[in-house]
Amino acid sequence: MKKRSFADLFFLLFVVYIVLPVVATMLYAFADKWNKTILPEGLTLKWVMTLFQDPAFMQAFGRSVLLASGAVIIALLVIVPAIFVIVLYFPKYEKWIQAAVVMVYSFPGIILAVGLIRVYSKFGISMILVVLGAYVISILPYIYQGTRNSLRNVDARQLLDAAQLLGASKMQAFTKILLPTVYPGLFAGALLSFSVLFGEFVLINLVVGSRFETVQIYLMKKLSTSGHIASAVVFVYIVLMGVLTFIIAKVTKKTKGATNV
Amino acid sequence: MSYITIEGLHKKFGETTVLTEIDMRIEKGEFITLLGPSGCGKSTILRILAGLTDSSAGVIQIDGKNMIGVEPKERQVGMVFQSYALFPNMTVYENVAFGLRMQKVASAEIDKRVQEMLAIVNLTEKANFYPKELSGGQQQRVALARAVIVRPKVLLLDEPLSALDAQIRKKLQVDLRNIQQQLGMTMILVTHDQEEAMAISDRIFVMNNGMIAQNGTPTEIYTSPKSEFVANFIGHYNVFTRQALEKMVGTTLPVKGEKFAIRPEAIHLEQKQGDIAITGVAQHSLMSGNVIRTTFEGESVFLMEQLHQRKHNVAIGQKYTCYVAKEDVVALS
Repeated sequence: MKKRSFADLFFLLFVVYIVLPVVATMLYAFADKWNKTILPEGLTLKWVMTLFQDPAFMQAFGRSVLLASGAVIIALLVIVPAIFVIVLYFPKYEKWIQAAVVMVYSFPGIILAVGLIRVYSKFGISMILVVLGAYVISILPYIYQGTRNSLRNVDARQLLDAAQLLGASKMQAFTKILLPTVYPGLFAGALLSFSVLFGEFVLINLVVGSRFETVQIYLMKKLSTSGHIASAVVFVYIVLMGVLTFIIAKVTKKTKGATNV
Repeated sequence: MSYITIEGLHKKFGETTVLTEIDMRIEKGEFITLLGPSGCGKSTILRILAGLTDSSAGVIQIDGKNMIGVEPKERQVGMVFQSYALFPNMTVYENVAFGLRMQKVASAEIDKRVQEMLAIVNLTEKANFYPKELSGGQQQRVALARAVIVRPKVLLLDEPLSALDAQIRKKLQVDLRNIQQQLGMTMILVTHDQEEAMAISDRIFVMNNGMIAQNGTPTEIYTSPKSEFVANFIGHYNVFTRQALEKMVGTTLPVKGEKFAIRPEAIHLEQKQGDIAITGVAQHSLMSGNVIRTTFEGESVFLMEQLHQRKHNVAIGQKYTCYVAKEDVVALS
């Protein structure tokens, strides 16, 4: 019994440690006045309203969505077919993808940013495109794991064989059988990638800077001018991530036929 | 010319030879079984026939057409896989209809044929279920329906029943044979289960180490094995060298050959005219339902199989004289 209450206490402390800063920030986004009291003296929507009325925020939000979704779409178009071909037909090359996945995790953003600037700045390529390219590579682990795990759940090679023997072309077998089968894992990987890229700050700030203001750069600027507005940005960000997490959980629990046969 | 002809088929994976000089001739409407232990190359023959694996050398013809270099989807060959390979994102109905959709058959015709096929495999009520909602036996019947509905020239069955429990397997063996005869379809089954092969085949090709060890009807294979391998693989045959057998019967054998096989059920306790007598002490008995297998030890160890009847009971530790008809002593090559 004593052990149990200790465990409960530690769990409570852990939850408070994790949740309190988030709750405080969210409350601050709605706080009218909050100076010498434990809780806000009054609540207001004016900070969130001000944020959504600020064209700079809306543009920054649009840029972040565009950059993150653009990188995810390119990754899906380029990386997914490559993973399929390697896993199904050239499994001996899979170790190279795994090595690339580890490298993506192991490179700190600052090193990557310096490297990108040194290599690409002299070619006259738009640095936004360079960041976009780096983003595509940086989400390789999420896309790879999502696809690979889904392929592991089914005998993908045998499904392809069966479809072809029933008269399907390789492309038809891919689009009608394999893609719908791995879709939940792929979709979850894509959403996860999107949320990671949406919150990315180091690369975009170091390589492009405020010339291309994303939500994160907007947030950093607002930190020095208005804590309430900055908190409102965090609130919007957390809501967006909450929605994405909910969708990922729903999709991965998808009951309709696909996976685990 | 045969409906399916395989001549001089060879297959190597890297430096490893998996098939050597395979020759097979199969007639239209035959139910053929490739029987052999794991790794003997029987599934590779199916994959080569289906076009899923390339051969290293040899000729393959189906219905008079050379199949070398022909894409799997152009071969009109159906296949049922051991793991079923049902499309998990599709219902039973959609799985069965898939092949017809690929052939761009009209929707009304697809619906009619799918309903007919589901009725044949007794799955009409499961049409809207997903594969993971079905039992193993039901999944296998869907796989069979999906492969059969496109009316392939030959249906290849790669150990389709091996993942099922014994009772369902026996029922599906009967269903499979009935469907094959009902449709008059040529089928080639791969299995390592000799009872299954005996039960449903018109002819059996016994394979060992990438070669065909023997082919013939189930009766031919069972009663006249040509080699020690076949004798051991298809039953509990007693295999003796000439020297050992002559020592047991106490006389010179009037037949040629250096090794001989005797079916355990050909050995009995009642003497008939012209029988050879062999003696041994009963060591132990094993009852498997309707059959009792008794091991005797005399000059050599031998096994006797008798129906489970009171008159066949033997006392362990007692010496018996057993008998076998001369024609049941099979000379092996």
